[in-house]
Amino acid sequence: MEDYKFLFKVVLVGNAGVGKTCLVRRFTQGLFPPGQGATIGVDFMIKTVEVDGEKVKLQIWDTAGQERFRSITQSYYRSAHALILVYDISCQPTFDCLPDWLREIEEYASNKVLRILVGNKMDREDREIPMHVGEDFAQRHDMYFLETSAKEAENVEKLFMEIAAELMEQARSKELPRYDTNSPTINGRSTSVGDGSCCSKIS
Amino acid sequence: MAIFKCCFETQLSDFFEPMVQKCTDPGCCCWCCSALRPRYKRLVDNIFPVNPQDGLIKNNMEKLTFYALSSPEKLDRIGEYLYQKAARDIYRRRNGLVVIAMEAMDQLLVACHAQTLNLFVESFLKMVQKLLESTEPQLQILATQSFVRFANIEEDTPSYHRRYDFFVSKFSAMCHSNHTDRDWCNKIRLAGIRGLQGVVRKTVSDDLVENIWEPVHMDKIMPSLLYNMQNARYPISQPDSPAPHGEEDRQDPPTLAESCMRELVGRASFGHIKSVLRPVLRHLDLHKLWVPNEFAIHTFQIIMFSIQSQYSYTVVETLMAHLDDNSTSSPEIRTSIADVLSKIIAIAAGESVGPSVLEIINSLLNHLRVSVSKLAKAEDSARHKLVSREGSTHEKLYQEALINALGEFANHLPDYQKIEIMMFIMSKVPHSEQDGDVLLQSMLLKSLLKVGTKYQTIQLNQAFPVIFLERLLRMSVGPNPDMRLLVNKILHTLLDRHRNLDKLLKPTVDVDSLKLAITKSSRLDAIFIRKHGGDIFLTLYESLELSNNTVETIEAAYTTTALICIELVCEESVCDLLRLIMTIQDLALTSSKLSLHQKYQLHAIVSSLLALVPHCVPLASLQTYADKVIATRIARAPYLLPPLLRHYDSTVVPTGDVLLDQAQITACLSEAGLDATQMARPQPGSLQHRHSWVDSGMGANAVDINEVDSVSSSPGVVKKFPEEELTFESLKRILSPENVESRKEAEEETRLRLSETYRNAPFGELVRHTQSKGDVLNERLSQLLKKLATKQSLRYLSERQATERERDREEDQRSEEDSEEERDRFGRHSPRGHSRSQSTDRDMQLPPAPQPLYESLFPELFVY
Ligand SMILES: Nc1nc2c(ncn2[C@@H]2O[C@H](COP(=O)(O)OP(=O)(O)O)[C@@H](O)[C@H]2O)c(=O)[nH]1
Ligand SMILES: [Mg+2]
Repeated sequence: MEDYKFLFKVVLVGNAGVGKTCLVRRFTQGLFPPGQGATIGVDFMIKTVEVDGEKVKLQIWDTAGQERFRSITQSYYRSAHALILVYDISCQPTFDCLPDWLREIEEYASNKVLRILVGNKMDREDREIPMHVGEDFAQRHDMYFLETSAKEAENVEKLFMEIAAELMEQARSKELPRYDTNSPTINGRSTSVGDGSCCSKIS
Repeated sequence: MAIFKCCFETQLSDFFEPMVQKCTDPGCCCWCCSALRPRYKRLVDNIFPVNPQDGLIKNNMEKLTFYALSSPEKLDRIGEYLYQKAARDIYRRRNGLVVIAMEAMDQLLVACHAQTLNLFVESFLKMVQKLLESTEPQLQILATQSFVRFANIEEDTPSYHRRYDFFVSKFSAMCHSNHTDRDWCNKIRLAGIRGLQGVVRKTVSDDLVENIWEPVHMDKIMPSLLYNMQNARYPISQPDSPAPHGEEDRQDPPTLAESCMRELVGRASFGHIKSVLRPVLRHLDLHKLWVPNEFAIHTFQIIMFSIQSQYSYTVVETLMAHLDDNSTSSPEIRTSIADVLSKIIAIAAGESVGPSVLEIINSLLNHLRVSVSKLAKAEDSARHKLVSREGSTHEKLYQEALINALGEFANHLPDYQKIEIMMFIMSKVPHSEQDGDVLLQSMLLKSLLKVGTKYQTIQLNQAFPVIFLERLLRMSVGPNPDMRLLVNKILHTLLDRHRNLDKLLKPTVDVDSLKLAITKSSRLDAIFIRKHGGDIFLTLYESLELSNNTVETIEAAYTTTALICIELVCEESVCDLLRLIMTIQDLALTSSKLSLHQKYQLHAIVSSLLALVPHCVPLASLQTYADKVIATRIARAPYLLPPLLRHYDSTVVPTGDVLLDQAQITACLSEAGLDATQMARPQPGSLQHRHSWVDSGMGANAVDINEVDSVSSSPGVVKKFPEEELTFESLKRILSPENVESRKEAEEETRLRLSETYRNAPFGELVRHTQSKGDVLNERLSQLLKKLATKQSLRYLSERQATERERDREEDQRSEEDSEEERDRFGRHSPRGHSRSQSTDRDMQLPPAPQPLYESLFPELFVY
């Protein structure tokens, strides 16, 4: 009956201008938006993909990078199943802020959240962060790592598909035992109107 | 039978309907099975037109509704089917059909009875969510409208498994829309706010459905509303955009967000307030909305006016705590927060009772204290390193803001609490005159002054509880002229019942032109001045003796004296005042410490006060005399008249008839039939007969205190009230109305006799007498204080340990009354450090000032 079997919430964070919105647009709409304004607060997109013949719905929450929206954006971390932390490979400061972002995630997100580090704009010639540096950082902090280009559609599909697959994997292996409704983690997300069916399907 | 027939008919007619339309659906595999499809599906299919632009087919919709009403058990399947159709249409971007499906859902929702809705609602909400997930603004707005419609329906049996977090998340996101088209942006934001309002309405009445007050929701809702409100100054809609139609549409996001916030805050119960306020404070912090603070003020006023009034105190408390959290922020931010506090604190004042009042005051004073020490440090380093003093300026503004908040708060409390607060603040004023303390002293006195200006004096004995008056007087002869000025200002505002203060700020001999408001002083006034006049006049005199007086401090002392003259002085006490005036003249003539300028300034206030007296007490001949002296001065010694100058060219030592003459004034008094005997001893120091030593008969209630009863230690008077038992009962008896009257009279009598003794006994003898008693008295007093101190701490301990609450409270009450009495006696008994009373022992070490009542009642407030 339902048009998906799993529902996962994915939140993108990272400094303003690293290309979060472009990544989401590329993935959900297949385009690279020309000159859209900076995201305010939070934006929302949805995409249903297929993994192993199962429909997986991804709710994607794209957040504003600016400090002043931190209060609203943080409130979305809590219920995230996956957090994509994005930096711009051609902009050192966006990489330098990663520890701050990690601290935020530590504080506001579930500790079981799937964390992915993404170095975006890999198409750019003026790279400042070598790939292995990003990789090292990700490894040290127990995150998945990927370099992408929203512009050239490089690794974007892969990024989200891997996330979907990984989350589904987790859901299948750990979820079969009953989940706890109070915890917002993937193992026990609370039911929402939309999620209801998803959860009931899993069991 | 009827139903069967009806069904049959419809089936027949369905069979002949165009099948092409249905076959566009992959869900419907072919036309041949359509006849076998369940009836509800066919009814649903029939509401869709061939051409989406034609809109919902009304007739068929009626049929569907009728069907749903008559077979409510089918409602959930109808809902599910409609949802699936819409989901497919969304996928194929056939928005026209989606709109129709949603419309049908809406109609069914409204038409069907509440108890049958439950399952249908699930499909309905899935549909709404589906639409909200679409990227089309049009569908999102449509979905919101449907959601709001749903939110306004009361469901009989709420569905406890239903969750609204998606809606809160999505609506909050919509509140932040940055759609490039301004019109759409506005519409999406409005929809977001309405959606949030809907969620709140739907959930607020039942926490079990969804606790909307959870931080996970509030942290989204509050910033979303605030974000829209703060944009009020930058309207999104262009002025030239066409005027929208309809009541709902006319609202702009800021207005709607604001009314939504009012509604939300108004529904918050005590446990929810923190989760409402926390995101507000964070939002203001992050969006840097404290400086400037218009929006913060606006927001907090909205909160204060919508919150259930019994909780308004919590808002103040929370804001105060935020000030704590910002202790390391820039003084500008702190000033702004304190300013917001001052703007809303008044609203809370009406609801604050008991300890909460003192807690607020205490917290403000603590902030002040911290700021003072911060400032002291800053000034210190500024002195040494010559760094900029800009920080200090901001810090001072912050202190002003705190004092304002304090004043605003006090302003809205009943007067009796203002007195309590003034005494509380006084208890916090540091006693020592060390460098660091002076700043704090002056800040606290400024706060005190602020509260004092809000107090409307009616009875002076209420405005000046003994212990409070004593502290004030003691400080009015402190070494620091700025402090003395502040203390005088406090006295001014508390004394000035007839609003003459402005006219009396500068000394003048032209009293007529002042148009003073003077009424005859009451009996209570007379008692007050009789009790305290001696202390007050002596203190005034002593303050004028100080060599670091400035024009301002001398003028302030003049103003105080003039106000006392207007408010309090009557025939009975006019001699004392005139004697003060004469003594000041003597001081100006004989002092070796004062500068020539200061002496001229004293002469000037002497003439101004002399001119004032006959306006307050009808003494015609004194008026004539005053006029004469002033005329003489105008002619021959204008430098002895106001205005007070900083510098005088003259060096003449005035003599002769430019001066006030003792004998002539005495004659004026005698002529008016007043007893002028005290005028006979005009030498400085003659003011020192101190009522405070003698009038303490009232309310004696402790054996050990009674031992030092001043009555028995006073010369020539037999101890008066041997019947006094020192129990609670006796105290009650004494305080019962009849007793008070008779006691008062008896007391009066004692006092009169005592005063008589003091007035008539030779000065030297008096000195001798009191001196000998002085040591004994002093010793007894310190014993007494020790006892009291242990008694109070014991009481506090016993309170802590007591297990029986009830008995405890009773005892508490009693001891409260006890200690009140004790304190009162203290107040009057403890001789002040400044007294150069008959005892010449000026350095006589005094026991520390007694602990005020609150200090023992709320010891936790007194931890520095
Ligand atoms: N060269 C290049 N530019 C990109 C890429 N992704 C985003 N940008 C540009 O980076 C800027 C910021 O992108 P945006 O998605 O708004 O960043 P956000 O603030 O993280 O959402 C825009 O000017 C984009 O055109 C990319 O993969 N390659
Ligand atoms: Mg963005």
